[in-house]
Amino acid sequence: MRMLITALRDLQWRRRRFITAAIGTGMVFALTFIITGLTHGFRVEAQHVVDSLGIDTYIIEAGAVGPFMGSSRFPEAETGVVARLPGVESAIPVVYGNTILQDRRSPQNVNVYGVPERGSGMPPIAAGRAPSSPGEVAMSSTLGRSIGDEVEIGASMLRIVGLVGKSTTLAGQANAFLTVAGAQRLMFSGQPVISAIGLHGTPRQIPNGYRIVDRHAAVDDMVRPLQGARLAMSYMAILLWAVAGLIVGSLIYLSALERTRDFAVFKALGVTTKSVLAGLALQAVLVALVASVLGGLLAMVLGPLFPMLVVVTTSAFLSLVVTAVVIGLLASLAGLRHAVAVDPALAFGGP
Amino acid sequence: MDDLRIKDLVVEYSDGGDAIRPIDGLDLKITAGSLVIVLGPSGCGKTTLLSCLGGILSPTSGCIEFGDVEVTALDRRELIAYRRHTVGIVFQMFNLVPSLTALENVMVPMWAAGWSQRVARERAHELLTRVGLQDRMTHRPGDLSGGQQQRVAFARAIALDPRLILADEPTAHLDFVQVEDVLRLLRELATGERIVVVATHDTRILALADRVVALVPPFTSTDREPETVRLTPGSVLFEQGSIGDLIYVVSEGELEIVREPAGGGEELLKVATPGDYFGEIGPLFRMPRSATVRARTDATVVGYTVEAFRERLGTSTERHLIEHHEIDTE
Repeated sequence: MRMLITALRDLQWRRRRFITAAIGTGMVFALTFIITGLTHGFRVEAQHVVDSLGIDTYIIEAGAVGPFMGSSRFPEAETGVVARLPGVESAIPVVYGNTILQDRRSPQNVNVYGVPERGSGMPPIAAGRAPSSPGEVAMSSTLGRSIGDEVEIGASMLRIVGLVGKSTTLAGQANAFLTVAGAQRLMFSGQPVISAIGLHGTPRQIPNGYRIVDRHAAVDDMVRPLQGARLAMSYMAILLWAVAGLIVGSLIYLSALERTRDFAVFKALGVTTKSVLAGLALQAVLVALVASVLGGLLAMVLGPLFPMLVVVTTSAFLSLVVTAVVIGLLASLAGLRHAVAVDPALAFGGP
Repeated sequence: MDDLRIKDLVVEYSDGGDAIRPIDGLDLKITAGSLVIVLGPSGCGKTTLLSCLGGILSPTSGCIEFGDVEVTALDRRELIAYRRHTVGIVFQMFNLVPSLTALENVMVPMWAAGWSQRVARERAHELLTRVGLQDRMTHRPGDLSGGQQQRVAFARAIALDPRLILADEPTAHLDFVQVEDVLRLLRELATGERIVVVATHDTRILALADRVVALVPPFTSTDREPETVRLTPGSVLFEQGSIGDLIYVVSEGELEIVREPAGGGEELLKVATPGDYFGEIGPLFRMPRSATVRARTDATVVGYTVEAFRERLGTSTERHLIEHHEIDTE
């Protein structure tokens, strides 16, 4: 184990190169971290909205895939039928739709949720109050508007009466919470139709032509449109891992090439090949560790600058460190192979 | 007492397809407490011999015994232990690790042997003080002179108090002041049961030796009359690897000059006919013959010493000899 000191001394000796490689790898890791955080953020964002609505389960049409993006319309009157079913504590109509908000600079997508003013359905209002008439709206604070402002959503002018803290859907799109009638006027030309029925309690039977989905399915429904983006980002993360591996691998391979004579001398002096390999592996692990810590710090600094939610969790950071070490070791295999092959007789060679 | 015995040692390797045999049937016995100098020109197998003695190179055949240990019969793991505990090596270019300080370089064998950091540090301190480097312990090799680096290399070689010390050209790259220090160290080390084997072509240090081993036998050549040799088809004039002092001129017949490649068989280099001469490189540069010469037909050749051949060719320079100018066979 004491032979590992030689590896640490070599790191000090070539510190500029190692620092450069660690910074380079750290930046790649930061990007990987941010991409992973963004991908994870999609689900966290959806979970946050579903939790804030406070609904346990949803009843949707049998042919629909969820209460929001994958919903289909059905008469609001079904809410009364469901409310009377045995086991149901409360049932509320839920309207969902996506439309355009004419912002000061450019139009942008907003997610419209129509829920009753009181009880479950309406998320916690951070400032102001919940909307009580069709012309009122509680907007996400991410829109940067104030209470009393008027906003043009779809074909209607609505007055902001409340703000909901950082409530977004579909990777950063602002949410607008209206009364059920307000949302029906905005999205369905005032027709008495809804997207889902929000429930508390467990119905012992479900009306024909409908099915029940839980919060998990509601979150799945909300992130489904982002599946393609999520897949593309996963591919990018894999490519970035490969780039990080190449940087560490090249560094260790170059180090092994330059230290060929040292390794030959070590072996000629009776140092085991295992000890030589352990030294090189230690270098790879150290570079990967330093780079992953740097990457984590950079991601924490850069993450909030992104317009979408970047969720950096401790478990993700630990996974990054472990993956970085494994990739560092795998990438240094070429260098390790070279070290194994070094003939101690080389120590007798000339300069 | 651990004597070093070498029996019928042969080392052969391939270089560019040619079989090279730097050591061919070497027998040697070195008694404990000796300083032995292995002398010879470059390429004669000095370093190869040290590599074999150090358990770094496995010979093609033959046997090396050190005390009760048959070095040539050790497996890989045993060889590592042998190198670590029995042998100390001083390399030609010192070969210190550039990232380590002088102290740490000396500690490497002790780290490899599993010594504690404190004990290894104390021992390295003691050794560097012994070689007069107590003020340079924290310096890296790049900050040390050639002589100082050589002394660190010696301290490293004796760190585990090995019974066999091998030094490869220890006086190369040193000025005469530094050489004096190295000579004194070498002589000091060859005491008690320790054997010191020094490979060198520096004849200044011969006076130190208890024994001198010349890997290429002394080249004796006395002026004598040209020697006429008659050969029948298939008979060999000289063999690859042999030593000879004559340059041959073909008078009659044909001779084939062949080289033995590493994989066996023969490679025909040239067919010598009347007027051709061959075999000049060996006597001129005191090297073994690089090829075998065999008669193809009944043949007659005349062998000349280098001096006699120069007169025969009418030149005094080696350059003209090896350029193969026309020669009159009359």
